[in-house]
Amino acid sequence: MAHTAEFDAKAAWDGGQSPFRVSYGKMMMWFFLVSDALTFGGLLVSYGFIRHKYSDVWPKAENVFTHFPFIEQHLPLAYVGLMTFILIMSSVTMVLAVEAGHRMDRRGVTVWMFWTIVGGALFVGSQAWEWYHFIVGTHEGAVRNVWDMATKTYVQETYHGATMAVNEYGVPQFANYFFFITGFHGFHVFSGVIINLTIFLNVLKGTYEKRGHYEMIEKVGLYWHFVDLVWVFVFTFFYLL
Amino acid sequence: MSEFHDDYPHYETMSNHDEAYGKKARRTLWNVFWIMLIITIFELIIGSMAPGHGWTGALWLKVLFIGLTVVKAAAIVLWFMHLGHETKFFKYIILLPYITFILYAIFIILVEGIYSGAPGNFTRVDKIFIEQQQKLKSGHHGAAGAHEKEGAHSEEHATETHH
Repeated sequence: MAHTAEFDAKAAWDGGQSPFRVSYGKMMMWFFLVSDALTFGGLLVSYGFIRHKYSDVWPKAENVFTHFPFIEQHLPLAYVGLMTFILIMSSVTMVLAVEAGHRMDRRGVTVWMFWTIVGGALFVGSQAWEWYHFIVGTHEGAVRNVWDMATKTYVQETYHGATMAVNEYGVPQFANYFFFITGFHGFHVFSGVIINLTIFLNVLKGTYEKRGHYEMIEKVGLYWHFVDLVWVFVFTFFYLL
Repeated sequence: MSEFHDDYPHYETMSNHDEAYGKKARRTLWNVFWIMLIITIFELIIGSMAPGHGWTGALWLKVLFIGLTVVKAAAIVLWFMHLGHETKFFKYIILLPYITFILYAIFIILVEGIYSGAPGNFTRVDKIFIEQQQKLKSGHHGAAGAHEKEGAHSEEHATETHH
């Protein structure tokens, strides 16, 4: 990197200097991401605990997520593979927008930010689709015993899909963690799309052109890459292990 | 800071790159992307092959998947988030607290996991639930007497935990 500029201590932070050669805003974004990553880390560690404890009866992801849009056949993990590809791809377009910002290339920033937003929206939509199929479940469903108050006996009941209470594929804990962690991540992606959209509109307005630099793209880029980073782990722990 | 969008002094001269630099940077980024794509496709192929070969749940497979994930995560943090380009001290400020706390969380969950019992050693409520599930799956149900047996089973477990 071109760290050749002379450091103007007077113009730096209020304390008189920037000890890390980063702007205040960028550093605070990093600190926020560290705390957010610890939250996700806590969720995934507790998931690992439950996953291990119930490993005998834990459903296999390749038996649960077999749907693909417009295709009748069972394609295990194909759709989540596509989702992962979309998110990695949007991460690449984001970093290309950051790179274009470094060159003050307004057109480049506009184009790459646009594709990042498209990728993010596609991912959120895919996740909704995945949730829908998980909640609706298979046609056959599963059978469980339910206590019938009237006859004081267990009666068998067929149910489909998964909710917080039941899960036709296996233990309900799988559904709980799936909804909670992918939901938390999905909400992060959704927020990211909104933030990206805001910044995109600012780019169109020429706000950063006037300001003289595109550092804001770097800041939202950090957040967006973090969302991708979390997905890499969620993907591994939910779908592969 | 007086303004929301504070400016780094001389940000322009520090991060404004020319086209030649941009070309080099873009090549690096696309290389990182191809590496990540190849790793993901490899993971998916191995993951969908695993059940047929009886690899599912094998320790080496888990270690492989987690190792590849950490490689991908490192690629994102170092190149996409440009942490590799920050000063050395800043890298430590970000990475050391995170790694410390996550290692501690993993350590504590492994220690506490020992007390919660080995896999398959469930609490009473879990046992009843899981046995029901297994019974339903294997098809030993449907007869009128099955419900009676169900009740007897749960009582058996109740006495089991009492002594």
